[in-house]
Amino acid sequence: MLTDLYTRRALIFAFANRDFATRYRSSILGWSWSLIQPLATLIIFAAVFSLVFRIKAPELGNGEGSSYAAFLFTGLVTWNLFSGLLTLSMTQLKSSGELLKKVQFPAWAPVLGASIVQMIQVLLELGVLVIMFLYLRNISWTWILALPILVGMALFAQGVGLILSIINARFGDVMYIVAVALGALYFLTPVLYPISMVDGHNELLTWVVKLNPVSWYVEGMHDAMYSLVAPPALVVIGLLVGGFLTFWAGFSIFNRWSEDIGELL
Amino acid sequence: MTIQPAGTSLAVDIQQVGKRFKRHTDRRNSIKERLVRGRARKPEDFWAVRDVTLQIPKGSVYGLIGHNGSGKSTLLKMIGGIYRPTEGSITTDGRVAALIELGAGFHPDMTGRENINLNGSILGLPRKDIQAVTEEIIEFSGLGDFINDPVKHYSSGMYVRLGFSVAVHMKPDVLVVDEVLAVGDEEFQRKCFDHLYALRRSGRTIIVVSHGLGQLEALCDEIAWLEHGEVQTAGPPTETIAAYLKRVNSDEAARNPQIEAVRGDDGDPRAGDQSIRVRSAKIVDLDGQPIGHAETGATFQISLEITAREPVLGPNVRIALQHESGPLVTMVSNHRVGTDFGTLEGDRTITVALTDNPLLPGRYRVHVDVFDFSGSKLLDSWNDAVEFPVRSQSGEIGQGFVQLPVEFRLT
Repeated sequence: MLTDLYTRRALIFAFANRDFATRYRSSILGWSWSLIQPLATLIIFAAVFSLVFRIKAPELGNGEGSSYAAFLFTGLVTWNLFSGLLTLSMTQLKSSGELLKKVQFPAWAPVLGASIVQMIQVLLELGVLVIMFLYLRNISWTWILALPILVGMALFAQGVGLILSIINARFGDVMYIVAVALGALYFLTPVLYPISMVDGHNELLTWVVKLNPVSWYVEGMHDAMYSLVAPPALVVIGLLVGGFLTFWAGFSIFNRWSEDIGELL
Repeated sequence: MTIQPAGTSLAVDIQQVGKRFKRHTDRRNSIKERLVRGRARKPEDFWAVRDVTLQIPKGSVYGLIGHNGSGKSTLLKMIGGIYRPTEGSITTDGRVAALIELGAGFHPDMTGRENINLNGSILGLPRKDIQAVTEEIIEFSGLGDFINDPVKHYSSGMYVRLGFSVAVHMKPDVLVVDEVLAVGDEEFQRKCFDHLYALRRSGRTIIVVSHGLGQLEALCDEIAWLEHGEVQTAGPPTETIAAYLKRVNSDEAARNPQIEAVRGDDGDPRAGDQSIRVRSAKIVDLDGQPIGHAETGATFQISLEITAREPVLGPNVRIALQHESGPLVTMVSNHRVGTDFGTLEGDRTITVALTDNPLLPGRYRVHVDVFDFSGSKLLDSWNDAVEFPVRSQSGEIGQGFVQLPVEFRLT
């Protein structure tokens, strides 16, 4: 797998470059949109959920009160990485269909290329998050742990994305099912609320939230960036290895099922 | 199966290859359909390519011809690795680049230069190799400063010129080309051909699908003719093309029996005293059977049914052949060639054989005039008696109207 990825890196980056260069080419504000969009979401959600629903964020790691906006954005960055890679993988494979009928190249190349661009987007968001925490003076060495956690998240999401995209090539419904499922999963992941809030309400719901793998990554990020608590080393390693294994499984399944991709799409 | 002479290695070895497609009408494309109708009903299959065995030597130019839907493109896509054969095997030696469509993968919003990079990567060339040939590609495409404009502003000619330039500069060991040779203007086409020849000289193999038979005949070392997914014949270009055209012509004749070049008397008043009247004119083969067209180089006949109302002594029947574009090609008469019909009376049939038909492809009109023995009195004059097409067995169209019996000698 790794050698495959390495030998075709030029192709992956060529696709990434294409998507990067053309993403906002016809808009005036260009790449600013990649920040305007999540920030607008952040402002709306922060207003609605902290003012209307009065959700309290946990205490900041520096002990100086709490910030719902910062808490929400930490989760949002992680969630955007997950849902972005998932959705993009499916649409990207579909839209590469015409090309795959005419030229022989690995079908995962355009998918991974698109994912690289999505990861750049998430890095920009992460930059804003860092600025937010610097402003709040909520700083600690535990930030470093955000890196393996996010890499794990990206690998996990990409693994799932690869599997879903190849099923979606066969059954066009999958895209719509996933859209609905992501909508539900969003509320079953502690992005809008701290995980402590679900405790003691509904046992089943609590279990679903806690068993949801995305929750683990989001919680890891909350710990490392917001609460400034280092999650146990085993957890961080687990998140990273779990992500890698998911990616490896997704990549293998994708390769096996994409042999006749030229006829499928 | 052809036996390769010793010492020649194969670029592509195709052994009993078949490709089966499921009919798209039956494809379960949604889960609902799968659930509702289940897997039980077997989808209809069809074989786009069946039992094809071809051996393509290194450094050769190999052509594939056949009707639309004969399986040529499917075979190309299998050679190019886009489709997997359902049965059989394809072994290729070296890197294959398939040009199924020029400029496939160009992004409209990116400039020509950016697209060279992208397209080159998609075709499988390492980045530094692409950079090494970028200037050459731009030079070859003749796009000049336009190379820094987004390709969406290109004319279709500029677009395919860039596509072709990128593809042929990728230096694949085997270049697979589908119907993309007719790009650009005359000048660019010549450049393309020169480049293809240069590729061949450098030992690379080119596999071409085209309907431009003349082009293929000139370019290819060998041609295979596919029909319904199976190889009909494979061998020297001229012979394969001739066999293919023969089939096309006979198919056309079988499909359109009504277009036989036969014309009966429409009863219109004509010039001449009408002591002889030509009642019908038809184009027939050597057995007298009406045919839809004549073939260059193959003898055919013009058959005229006449009625002589009174005995006419030694009439002169003159036939003029006019090309569709206007020029009179030739005029022949029985007096000119020294044939005397004697005294004609009643219903007779006159046939004029055009031995080894020298007419080149095109449409020709037949005018018939009948004079008395002295040639001074007009008996009948039928303009546009009949019209017929001439087709060629070889792909060559030729220039002009006739091929004269010439011989070239070198001393």
